[in-house]
Amino acid sequence: MGPTIVDTLVDTLTKSTEEVFETMVFRTLTSLLPIEGDALRPQSNVVGTVGFAGGASGLVAFYSTLDAAREIAGSMLGMEPADVKGEMADAIGEITNMIAGSFRTKMAQSGHQWAISVPTVTVGSDFYIKPLVTGRRVLIPFKMDSHEVFVELIMTEPSES
Amino acid sequence: MRFLVVDDSSTMRRIIINTLNKLGYQDFVEASNGREGIDRLGSGSVDMIITDWNMPEMNGIDFIKAVRGQATSKDVPVLMVTTNAAKDDIVEALRAGVNNYVVKPFTAETIKEKIDAVLAAK
Repeated sequence: MGPTIVDTLVDTLTKSTEEVFETMVFRTLTSLLPIEGDALRPQSNVVGTVGFAGGASGLVAFYSTLDAAREIAGSMLGMEPADVKGEMADAIGEITNMIAGSFRTKMAQSGHQWAISVPTVTVGSDFYIKPLVTGRRVLIPFKMDSHEVFVELIMTEPSES
Repeated sequence: MRFLVVDDSSTMRRIIINTLNKLGYQDFVEASNGREGIDRLGSGSVDMIITDWNMPEMNGIDFIKAVRGQATSKDVPVLMVTTNAAKDDIVEALRAGVNNYVVKPFTAETIKEKIDAVLAAK
């Protein structure tokens, strides 16, 4: 039996995330085993989200700690992480936008046409994203040096076409 | 050579300007959407425009159409840098008047190749 549509989506999202980090953050990510469902709620203070709609709808979310977000923003902008202040949210929004955009482009090549929203970024603590649709959610953990970051795909039940 | 960099993300403007710096370019003006971009064009000469597509107030496509509709800017080369990479997107951008197209994420080498291609075609 070949890969399911969910396997393909997760694999494509993993590749998109790795590519964006390699090219724009100058960091190599190591992907860990994806986790289906919402059993693991990643500890994070910064969450970027981009919604998509088309044959399926849902969102792509990027999670990191404040320290990791400062490191990512610093690396993108050529700044020391300690000097990153107001730039952090915009940088995480742009990272999420590029991950979702690259994911959308790759999926379009296999016939899945989606439109994507502008990114939003939430900075805080002790919050949880709860989608108001029934469907699937898959969390992909990545190691980035000493940090762990996460990308989650939350979507309505995808069709196999 | 003076660049106008138009993007609603200050991060992306900074990345593009850092990249152009690495390529030896030093002169930039910035705008955070198409409408601001039009204002900046009115206040001084620009040799090349680098613009995003998805922006508030005036998006990249409407901005390029406005640029091509003005006698003073109609011939300024435009490079679009965006996550919109579907074939239909590229066709729409080229129809609006884009000279070349860079898909995010990008490398400095890609930006250099596209700028060189645009300048060679002038």
